[in-house]
Formats: sequence, structure tokens, C-alpha cells
Amino acid sequence: MFQEYYMAESVSDALSFLNKGPGDAVIIAGGTDLLLDLHEGKKRTKSLVDITRIPELKNLSMEDGIIKIGAAVTHAQVAESELIWANAPALAMAAKKVGSLQIRNIATVVGNIINAQPAADTAVALTALGAKVTIADTSGTRDVHIDQLYEDVGKSRVDCRRELVTEVIIPAHEQNQSSYFVRLEQRKALALPMLNIAVMVSLEKGQQRFEWVRIAMAPVGPGPMRATNAERILKGTEIDDEIITKAAYEAAAQANPRDSDLRGSREYRLQVLPALVKRCIKTAVAQVVNKG
Amino acid sequence: MKTFNVVGKNIKRNDALEKATGKAMFSTDMNIPGMLYAKVLRSPHAHALIKSIDTSQAEKIPGVKGIATWGNTPRELFNTSATMTFTVPSMEPVLDQYIFDKVVRYVGDEVAAVAAISEKVAAEALKHIKVEYELLPAVFDPLEAMKPEAPIIHECHAGKNIPAEIVKFGMGDIEKGFAESDIIFEDVFKLPIQKQAQLETQAALAQVGSDGGITVWSTTQTPHPSRMIISKIFSTPQSKIRVLNPPYVGGGFGVRIGLSAKAEPIAVALSKLTGKPVKIVYTREEDFTSSDTRHGGYVWVKLGCKNDGTFQAMELKSALNAGAYCSFSGETPGVLGAMGLAVYRMEHMSYYGHSVYTNFTPSGAMRGFGNPQAMFAIEAAVDTIAERIGMDPLELRLKNIIQVGDNWCLPYTCGSTGLAECVEKAAKVIGWERRGTLNEPGSKILRGIGMGVGTHCSNAWPFCVDYDNAIITVQQDGSILLAVGVPDIGTGTSTTLPQLAAEAIGVEMSQVNMTFGDTLTTPFDIGSHASRTLYAAGTAVVAAGNDVRKQILEYAAVVMKIALERLDITKGIIHISGSNEAESCEGSGICRSGEESMTHISVRELVYHAHLRNKQFIGIGRTIPPNSPPWHAHFYEVEVDTETGMVKVVKVAAAHDVGKAVNPMIVEGQIEGGVLMGVGYATSEEIKISAKGKPLHTSYHKYLLPTAMDAPEIHAIIVESNDPSGPYGAKGVGECGMVLSAAAIGNAVYDATGIRFNEIPLTPERVYKRLQENKK
Ligand SMILES: Cc1cc2nc3c(=O)[nH]c(=O)nc-3n(C[C@H](O)[C@H](O)[C@H](O)COP(=O)(O)OP(=O)(O)OC[C@H]3O[C@@H](n4cnc5c(N)ncnc54)[C@H](O)[C@@H]3O)c2cc1C
Repeated sequence: MFQEYYMAESVSDALSFLNKGPGDAVIIAGGTDLLLDLHEGKKRTKSLVDITRIPELKNLSMEDGIIKIGAAVTHAQVAESELIWANAPALAMAAKKVGSLQIRNIATVVGNIINAQPAADTAVALTALGAKVTIADTSGTRDVHIDQLYEDVGKSRVDCRRELVTEVIIPAHEQNQSSYFVRLEQRKALALPMLNIAVMVSLEKGQQRFEWVRIAMAPVGPGPMRATNAERILKGTEIDDEIITKAAYEAAAQANPRDSDLRGSREYRLQVLPALVKRCIKTAVAQVVNKG
Repeated sequence: MKTFNVVGKNIKRNDALEKATGKAMFSTDMNIPGMLYAKVLRSPHAHALIKSIDTSQAEKIPGVKGIATWGNTPRELFNTSATMTFTVPSMEPVLDQYIFDKVVRYVGDEVAAVAAISEKVAAEALKHIKVEYELLPAVFDPLEAMKPEAPIIHECHAGKNIPAEIVKFGMGDIEKGFAESDIIFEDVFKLPIQKQAQLETQAALAQVGSDGGITVWSTTQTPHPSRMIISKIFSTPQSKIRVLNPPYVGGGFGVRIGLSAKAEPIAVALSKLTGKPVKIVYTREEDFTSSDTRHGGYVWVKLGCKNDGTFQAMELKSALNAGAYCSFSGETPGVLGAMGLAVYRMEHMSYYGHSVYTNFTPSGAMRGFGNPQAMFAIEAAVDTIAERIGMDPLELRLKNIIQVGDNWCLPYTCGSTGLAECVEKAAKVIGWERRGTLNEPGSKILRGIGMGVGTHCSNAWPFCVDYDNAIITVQQDGSILLAVGVPDIGTGTSTTLPQLAAEAIGVEMSQVNMTFGDTLTTPFDIGSHASRTLYAAGTAVVAAGNDVRKQILEYAAVVMKIALERLDITKGIIHISGSNEAESCEGSGICRSGEESMTHISVRELVYHAHLRNKQFIGIGRTIPPNSPPWHAHFYEVEVDTETGMVKVVKVAAAHDVGKAVNPMIVEGQIEGGVLMGVGYATSEEIKISAKGKPLHTSYHKYLLPTAMDAPEIHAIIVESNDPSGPYGAKGVGECGMVLSAAAIGNAVYDATGIRFNEIPLTPERVYKRLQENKK
């Protein structure tokens, strides 16, 4: 399958192996996507660079209202993190839904993003949370918004043969903000979603009006998709059922799911999508109200 | 009531430590020197003629040792299922399979197999076998397949594409019964194809000796019948063949009653071709595409009732999807009808059912064997009738269920029933009285409670050949070896059968060891299926145990100079009955043989005493088990999300009359496992195919078995009616947990939504669609 497995000790070590090593090297984190792809012949490589032992990538912290999740951090760590539950709950909820405990124990959040599957659970949550990723290459680092990372289904704009994502950066929720994630699933573990939706709300003072809302939905396009028209409808409006319902239908109008023999028809997914969007918005609003 | 020392106790399973530590041996783990690995080339087409097979390129690949096709393997017809060894005259078993044939009849059908030095080489070789196909028209629905224009899959005498016989039976006068009914319910129900999804895939390792003797380690649930099938295919005397489990089998649920799909004959054929041992382990995908499934198809029910709730007449019909080969497609419609008509008392009944060949993966035995299909339809009919006459469905059932001594349609009597007690206990646990008060107006999540009742068999007698043998040999050191030919497919028989032996003889559990699942070390036994192992093989074990006990006591009476009738054996000590000094007396001196005043002697000491005098105690049990109905009542509470169609099973109360729970914890495990398998059947599991007949659900990932996270709160309730025919009162358990889930969940969803679903699984999309239609 591959000839060399390299344990990188630092980010620069990993980058130099990628760029100056035997060539044809690929980054591996938990390997829960990559090893399957290699096994099935969907991807080929001579060597793998393991980044999960790099100390600086194991960081999960919050400073000055910014949450940072290193590339070696697993779904299990995120799902168990009080910091994430308090400051970006949609992400913790999404991480808790990935695969099974065994998968969550080794799979990384960054791997979930870079693998670029349309319904990757944490990527959907991170899209609603307005996350960015930090990409390192031999010339330095740059921060890119998660919305900008998707080239096509299963294809990230990050080139994992040359570049390394070091961390995800998420603005922590402020007092007037919260987020929520729901997943329409055929069973409660080990099943890809029929739909997953994440919503972040930011309310104006007094909690009567939306300041803004971010809605991410999947799998309804190549990557997690923003329901921009729905977001526009809600921006600055008074919070009431009618407008939320209107926005939820607008989200469905923007979605473009496929027919799947295994995971439901396009028609069905479009029909139930508004209800899920509504649930997310309402629960997220209720969570803000509960904060006081 | 008789008190027991070993029976009725939660004895720790004999296989627990081995399995928990990963040391237990399964066929998949087997490894012997010089062994080759086999891989199978399978048909990509649903129906085609093989015009030619060219293996020359594949043979040139280094490491390839032999390739089997229809051209160099026996042209002996067989049936992979044990039906070919136990079909009772005047019926004839259907033999419709070769190891490889010139026609392929489903996607996944066997075309050729390669033996090579590794699985990898064998898999590579498959790519170089060139096969030329001529496509034939294919058909997938049983009703379509009966039409004149449908392609012929096999020539049949019973009707177009109808394997075996059409099953017809009944009693009374059905027309009269309906004429006398005030209310009649009639409808058709459609059932999906479910997969056993047992943990260990089909596997076999075959070794052919230089004398032509054949040894096969495999995953079969029935080593003795499998030996008979292999004997026929390879024209080798049964006495030169050994079939065994090594000794464990990673689940069965019916998928290998008989051969493990074609694992055994393919391994043997390749072993004969190469002169080396050959091992084959199906991939999960092969297990899905190319080993038996549960029968999908159609069930019609018509139920007539008086206004006061007295059932008058029931007519039941079925047309099941047999798939491409017969397997158990003759028996399944029979059991569907027999069990369906055995639950309620009424004068007029009739059944008409059969299977139909299609170009699907073959259907065969799966836990419940037609019974869940029947009860899904019947229990919907009962609930609907209850609503129409304004009667509590629980009361309606209690009014009509079979009682001991009732005339029914089965060829044996109903010897016991604890069904009313099952209903009462489970209703209490679920909170039946809350029914109808569960939902606030306008609620988007609707709750409902539904129930179902049913029965099953405790073996296959007298429908199929069904008999048992057990040998108990008391060793010179007093330890006891029990030999029974049934496997332990995970249901705990290697614990519960020794429990019966220990109880019968009067020794401690730790004194009994067992050899099982091996045709060389055990006498013939039909195997582990039909909920029969504990009940039927147990009957032979108890007979053998009683035989040994009698021999021991007769010998002891002479040695102890005490009348035989006064002696008893408790915990391995022979003592005067009634005396409560049965504690171990070993070493105390009283036990020593030859003493005048002897009141106790341990079995161990007596046995050695006998050995020194040229005597051994060997007990034999040879029984034809009777049959007896286990009974069950299941109650399910569900939640239906009206905005998504999602059905969630919240709580289950499953009460089972098992006659006597020989090991209650094992019984609870069987019930809980059955319930969860039933939840999957009702809500998520189904194998669908593409337009060209390619199965879509071919992995654990795609096929939606419920996970531990999906398991509802399950209350397994044991009811003991102490059956007069079973060993210490026991009846069948294994399949029963699976029989009622779909029926009761269907009724619970109706209670929640007012919508009757005639088709499962209740996937969110199917439910949502009907909820939307209902709004209009
Ligand atoms: C049984 C099973 C169930 C699953 N269930 C779910 C589920 O429910 N929901 C879901 O969303 N996913 C699921 N997955 C998919 C998978 O587990 C996730 O996508 C996971 O987050 C991938 O992370 P990883 O660390 O294993 O990535 P890897 O497989 O190691 O890598 C994935 C890709 O990202 C690249 N990569 C990884 N890290 C970096 C980095 N730091 N910089 C640049 N490139 C990088 C790799 O080169 C590779 O191309 C499941 C997988 C399995 C096997």
C-alpha cells in the first residue's frame, strides 16, 4: 500500500518531509478516511507523514475569545471538552456524532475538514461557527475561511502533499450568541447523515432581534452549504415563528441534495430540511435566552 | 415444586472466559500447515448463461495452485440447506444447486474459485479469469415471477417458478366462518429482505487425506447434516468424513443450517484439486450477496369476527421471495402458516402459501422462519378489528388466544401456555393503561403503545426429521464427558446442556465437560436450529443423564448394601435420600468404600471402585423430541417525529413463556437480542437491489442494523409454564424474541399516528410520506 511511514516531530519537520523527502508523501492524521481510500485504491502514495505526535498540534485552548483546535485533536477530545460545549456547542454536538467511539478516539477534526466530504459533521458545524484554518507551507502560514476550502466533492483546496493545516480557529460565542447542530440519521452511530444542519445565532441586546444568523446545511452541495438567502431574511429582524419558518423554507430552496438509494430521496430531504433548520434556530435562540 | 441444584441458576457460561479473552477458536481463525486460501469469482449478472470460461491466464500467476469451475467439479445436485437431509416423505427435497453451474441466477452466484498461496494472489487471479456471458431476462418480484411471461429460473412442478410444494392446510369451513362473521378485515402486507448479519462470515477449512477421507472445519449450525450433504456431493462415505466446528461459531440465526453457503464444498473441491488443505472465508460483502437471507414477499390476511369479539375465521396466504435457489423455501411458507394459525382459537381456518424463485440472493432460514412475516399481518388485523368493534386490543387477544387442550391446526397438542400471564406482566411493565393519553394536542412528536402476541415451535418435529442422541461417559476420575452433536452458535448450549446433565445425574456443574459440534466425537444430531437445541437435544441429554444415574445407583446399592430406592445423588455424593448430609464427605473416612456402615460415597470414589472391578458407566439418550409451543407477548412504546418521519422505539416489554428458564441470564440475552433484531426488521433493515439486480446493502456500514446506541430500554420478562414435555419443563427460546417486533411496532405506530403501515421497514422517508398524505 505504501512504503514509508514517517512520524513527524514538528510542523517544519513534516513540511520538509513532504517537500524534500522521497516525494509523493501525504499527511496522515487519524487515518480513518485516508487508510480506507488507500486500501480501496482511490488514492495512492509512497509514504505517509504522521502528524499526530507533533506537540504543538495537540493544543485545544481558548485565549482572548479565540478557540484554537490543533490538527492532532480528535473528535473525542472535542466532544468531551467543557470549553467547546460552553463556547461553541454546535461543534461539540457534531463531534459527538461522528462514527463511533473507536473512530472518534483517533479521527481528527482537521482531517474531517480536509477530507472534504459534503456531510462531514464537524465541518458543517465549523461552517456555521465561522471558523478559519491556519495553513502552513514552506513559505509561511496563512489563515483561510472554511467556506473557501472546498474545491469539489472529496477535494479540498488544501494540498495535503505540500501543505499542512496546523489548527482551526473559532471565535468563541459571546454572551448574546449560541449555536446548535442536528443530524437526520438512519441510526444513532456508524451512519452517514441524511442531512445535517448547524446554526449559529447572534442576538441583539434585549434578545428580541437577530443581529445575524449563520446556517450551514449538508449534504446538499459539494461542501457544507451556507443558506445565504435565509440568513439575509433573518438579519436584523425580530425573532418570531413566522420569519423563522420563512427563512427555513428559503434554506430548502437553496439546497440541492441528491437522490440516494441508501440515504433517502432528494424530495424527502428537501421536505424535512425546513423543520430541521427551524429546530436549530429556535434551540440556539433558547440557549442564548437561558444564558440570561 | 421440585427444587433444582443446577437448573434455573445463572451458571457462568463455559465459553465466557475464552470468548472474553479472544482465545476462543472460530473457523475464521483456523490455520494448518501448507494451507491454501480460496477466493470466489461471482456473477456480476442477475441471470446469464456462461458461454465460456478461460482460466489459462489466471493459472499462470505465480502462487496459484488450482482453479475450480463447473468443468472440473462434481456435477452432483444438492441444496446448501439441511432440507436435503431432513425433508419428510412424501415430500421430496428440492435439489437445485451445483458447486458451479453453467447458468448464473443472481448477482453474486458462484462462477469459479481459485486456491492460491495467499488471499491476495487468489484475488488477483480472479481478475484474470475470462468469462463470456449471454444475458438472460431477470425477475425480482415474486408476483411478477409467477406470470407466464416471466423467465424460467428453475423448472418446477408446483407452478411457474414455485419451488417445492404449495402448502395448503386448514380446518372447519372457511366460507361458512366468514358468512357468520359480523366484521371482516382483509389486507395484504409486504415484507422486506432481512439479513442475519451474524458476526462471523461463512467460512470453511477442508483437508482431504490420501485415503480420500475429508475433514472440514466450518461455521455450520448442523455438522451432522452437513456431513450428509458433503457425502453426496463428493460421493464419499459419511464414515470417511468429519465435519466440526473448531469449536465455536460466530452466530448463526439460521444462515448456515446445512452448509455455510458454499464454503464447505468449495474448500473441499479445491482441496481435492490441489492436494492441500484449503481455507475460505467469505468477505462481509460476499456474506451479504451470496448467503441466505430472510424471505421477503407478500402475506394476505382475512380475519372474521363476531361483534362481541369472538374470532370466527381466518384465511392466510403468502407468496415469498425464494431468491435464485430453493434452500428452505419449501419449509418457510409452511412455518409461516402453521405459526400464524396457531395463536388464536377459532373454528375455521385456511392457509395457502409458497415461495417463488426470483433472481435475488437465495432466501433461507432466519430466526423466526416465516413467523415474523405472518404476525406482522395478523396482529395488524387483530388491532384493526379491535378498533372497529370498540374493544381494547389486549382484551380482544385474551378472549381469543389458544388454551391448553384447544383444537388447533398443529399436528401436536398445546401442552402448556403462559400467554395470558405474559400479556398481564408485560402490559404492567409498559403501562398499557396510559395508552390513548400519551399525546398533547398539537404535539409534533407523537407517542404510541402497541402490542402483539404469538407462539413458535420448540423444534421441527413432525414437519422435518428431528431426533437427538447424547452419550454421557463417566471417566475413571469421576469427571463426566457429555457428547452431543449440536454446535454452540453463541446461544450458550455448551453451558446449558451440561447444566441439564449435571442436574439429571446429581453432580456439580464443574464435574461435567462437553464435546459438541463434531461428527467424529458425537453421535448424530440434527443440529442447532428451530429453537430446538436446549429443548430437543436437552431431552436426549436428560435421558442419557438418567441412564447414567441409574447405572451409578445400581452399582452403589450393591457397594453400600442399601436398597436402590433409598439412594439419591446430590452434588456428586451418593447418599440415603432424605438425609441432608449431602455435603462432601471425601477424606472424612465415611466415604471409604468397603466399610460396613457406609451412608455416603462420592461419585468419584464409586467410579474408581467400579473401574478397579472392570466397569464403566456410560449413559445413552436417544430421543425423538415431542414439540411444544413457547408463547410471547411484546409491548412497544414508540415516538414518531411527525416533522421527519423518524420512528424511535423508546421502551419494550417482552414477556416469554419459555416453560422453564434453565439459565435465566442466557434466556434474557436471547430475548433482548431477538427484540433488537426485530427493531431493526421493523424500522431500518432491508436489502434493496439496483434495477439490474445488484444488491445495494452489502456491508455493515450500508445495511442498517441497530447499534447499541439505538437499543431501546428492553424489559425481558420470563414466564414459566413448566411444559410437561420439555427437559425440566423447558421450551424453545432462541427465535421467539424476534417474532413480534414488527407486529407490535406497527401497532404502536398506528396508535401514535392513526396510520396503518402495511410495509416495513418504517424508514423515516416511508413514514414521512404517509404522514404528509394523511394531512391532505
Ligand atoms: C466507520 C467510520 C465512520 C465514520 N463516520 C463519520 C461520521 O459519522 N461523520 C463524519 O463526518 N465522518 C465520519 N467518518 C469519516 C472520518 O472518520 C472523518 O472524516 C475524520 O474526521 C477524518 O479524520 P482523520 O484524522 O482520520 O483523517 P485522515 O484519514 O488521517 O485524513 C483525511 C485527509 O485529510 C488529510 N489531512 C489530515 N490532516 C491534515 C492536516 N493537518 N493538514 C493537511 N491535510 C491533512 C489527509 O492527507 C487525508 O487526505 C467515518 C469514518 C469511518 C471509518
